[in-house]
Amino acid sequence: MPELSYREAVRDALSQAMRNDEDVFIMGEDIAEMGGSMGVTQGMLEEFGPDRVRNTPISEMAIVGSGIGAAIQGMRPVVEVMYEDFLTISMEQIVNQAAKHRYMSGGQLKVPLTIRTQGGAGWSPGAQHAQQVEAWFVGVPGLKVVFASTPSDVRGLLWSAIYDDNPVIFFEHRTLYGLKEELAEEIEPIPIGQARVHRQGEDVTVVATGRLVHEALAAAEEAGQQGVSVEVVDPRTLQPLDEDAIVASVKKTNRCVVAHEAVTRMGFGAEVAAVVQHQAFDWLDAPVERVGAKFTPLPFAPVMEEYVVPHATDVLEAIQKTVQRDGSS
Amino acid sequence: MADEVKLPRLGQGMESGTIVKWLKAEGDQVEKGEPLYELDTDKVTQEVEAEASGVLLKITVPEGEADVGTTIAVIGEQGEDVSAVKAGTAQPVADAAQEEGSPGPAREPERGREATAAEQVAEARQPAQGNGAGARIKASPLARRIARERGIELGSLKGTGPEGRVVAEDVERAAASPAPATPTTALAPTGEVERVPLTSLRRTIARRLTEAWQAPAFQIAMSADMTRTQSLHTLLAEQTKEGEPRPTVTDILTKACADALMRHRAVNALWAEDAIELHPSANVGIAVAIEAGLVVPVIHQAERLTIAELAAARADIVARARANQLRQDDLDGGTFTISNLGMFGVEQFVAVLNPPQAAILAVGAIERKAVPTEAGFEARPLMTLTLTCDHRSLDGATAADFLRTVKAFLEEPGLML
Repeated sequence: MPELSYREAVRDALSQAMRNDEDVFIMGEDIAEMGGSMGVTQGMLEEFGPDRVRNTPISEMAIVGSGIGAAIQGMRPVVEVMYEDFLTISMEQIVNQAAKHRYMSGGQLKVPLTIRTQGGAGWSPGAQHAQQVEAWFVGVPGLKVVFASTPSDVRGLLWSAIYDDNPVIFFEHRTLYGLKEELAEEIEPIPIGQARVHRQGEDVTVVATGRLVHEALAAAEEAGQQGVSVEVVDPRTLQPLDEDAIVASVKKTNRCVVAHEAVTRMGFGAEVAAVVQHQAFDWLDAPVERVGAKFTPLPFAPVMEEYVVPHATDVLEAIQKTVQRDGSS
Repeated sequence: MADEVKLPRLGQGMESGTIVKWLKAEGDQVEKGEPLYELDTDKVTQEVEAEASGVLLKITVPEGEADVGTTIAVIGEQGEDVSAVKAGTAQPVADAAQEEGSPGPAREPERGREATAAEQVAEARQPAQGNGAGARIKASPLARRIARERGIELGSLKGTGPEGRVVAEDVERAAASPAPATPTTALAPTGEVERVPLTSLRRTIARRLTEAWQAPAFQIAMSADMTRTQSLHTLLAEQTKEGEPRPTVTDILTKACADALMRHRAVNALWAEDAIELHPSANVGIAVAIEAGLVVPVIHQAERLTIAELAAARADIVARARANQLRQDDLDGGTFTISNLGMFGVEQFVAVLNPPQAAILAVGAIERKAVPTEAGFEARPLMTLTLTCDHRSLDGATAADFLRTVKAFLEEPGLML
């Protein structure tokens, strides 16, 4: 089995889909000769040619808008928005057009569009290039939202996103591109809406997304040495959400921590906490703890950025709070 | 306006009840229909719902026995004066209501006095409080659920979670801690006599069975060959759909008794001192052993039910009896009782009457016994039926006719058709 990085796994899903299906094509800023700002699409121009690997002007509204048009016409476009911070410019196209056409046309139109984007802190890109905005899209009916955290997940889920007949916002994390994993040649599609239990545990469930999945796994390791058994669940798909998997896990452990890199306030974890308190209320032995970025624009200074976003130590602290037994606050 | 909560009459013949615990504290907001307190009556403990919405201003009977109609609490608006209401008084509701409609500064002293009274009651109710008297107890939802399921009072626990919150482990520990006391006494008896205070259920059992002993009773017994009943049982069990209760031999016996009672109405009778009541339906009580003692929930109109329906009804009442969730109407109206100790290996026994019923059937275990045949002996599954009868209602020949019919139905279930 070849070892693929997260970056190569994304490229592999795109390339295999394009070999498999003439309707699939990609477009975005500098994705052709340059191979994308993160190098994800390197070499694809040579294989598929400029008709199917299309550079676009610097207009996110045009990138997404033309993707919607192509999708309605029967193609399966995958468009790239270079930084998720720039999704703001294409908000009208995503929220009012892509998400609504199927509904407004009474089902006559469908929009099988995948919008790939990436972001995240950890390399000092500054306040306008490091945000995590996935939660904004979870509240828009008509969209599906995916946030994959490993090479196998990103490849299997991107495949499912491309072949989904609805618009999918597909989040990748900048710091995960180098992460490697051995993968089979053949892609095994991962159904949208299915969580992954990364690690079984008895005492606390950590529901984590994106980079925080890995921070949570590190925290779980550390907690294990302190005698606390931690289960780590990655929803992978934020909309639709695999509520059953999360609730089943919390019913087993009786405690829950939610963790993501986005700010805690109105973060995706708030929704998970609401689901858990409602569906597993009588199983909770401690309040749901939330881990996320401090409520501030992301600083450019590396030490300040590190201070603002959460790490394994923050997850560990939250785990310890849920099992705290000394009677004090 | 203030509403006095009075101890309700929940069933025929109920004169008093024992308040086990209040599910709301003084000062709590109460909605009509919400469970307000737990009441222990003859043989059932049940939650009683509030009949009015408002603030639980005062609990006048924190726990213990009270007569039907006694004022046990007052629900009204925050700040209403309830100082006039005394525990145990059956004061007219109007008295409390007169205070209505005069809010304002003039009432401040009264409010103070009321608070003091309320505190006194709260203190009396909860001595040695571990978790704050009267105040809401901090406990995790899981801890609350476990406490509820195991009947543990949260207020008696010391919370070890953050901010003194009671967490699951605290409840688990409390649930486990009384247990060691028993083995200790068992292993090293101190020689002291242990006095077990009577529960309301135990007291009822004692009173009713003592009453029963005064009746002139006689017993008759017969053995039934259960070969065909067992074949029928096997057949019915095989045909039971997934998820439905499997009929037992007891269910077939209930059916046989119900049908026999319809043919021998003199046995389906109640002693009414100045008359004998012959009842039109076989309301068959099934004696069920529960942790706290014995209860006899009733399957009403058993003669109208199929064996599958009887199995469902029996499964329901037995499950609710064991979960302590029987209602008064589950226990009322019985005309005949079956007591089966077969599952405990008892070969035969004599049951004590369940007054005012004319008869009770004691059922032993099915045992393979040698039965003489023309060829010699054959092993047959036999079951002994012992009928205890109230001679005031019933004579020996009538009882024997009835028991012979039951025996015939068990030996050839087709005769029930």
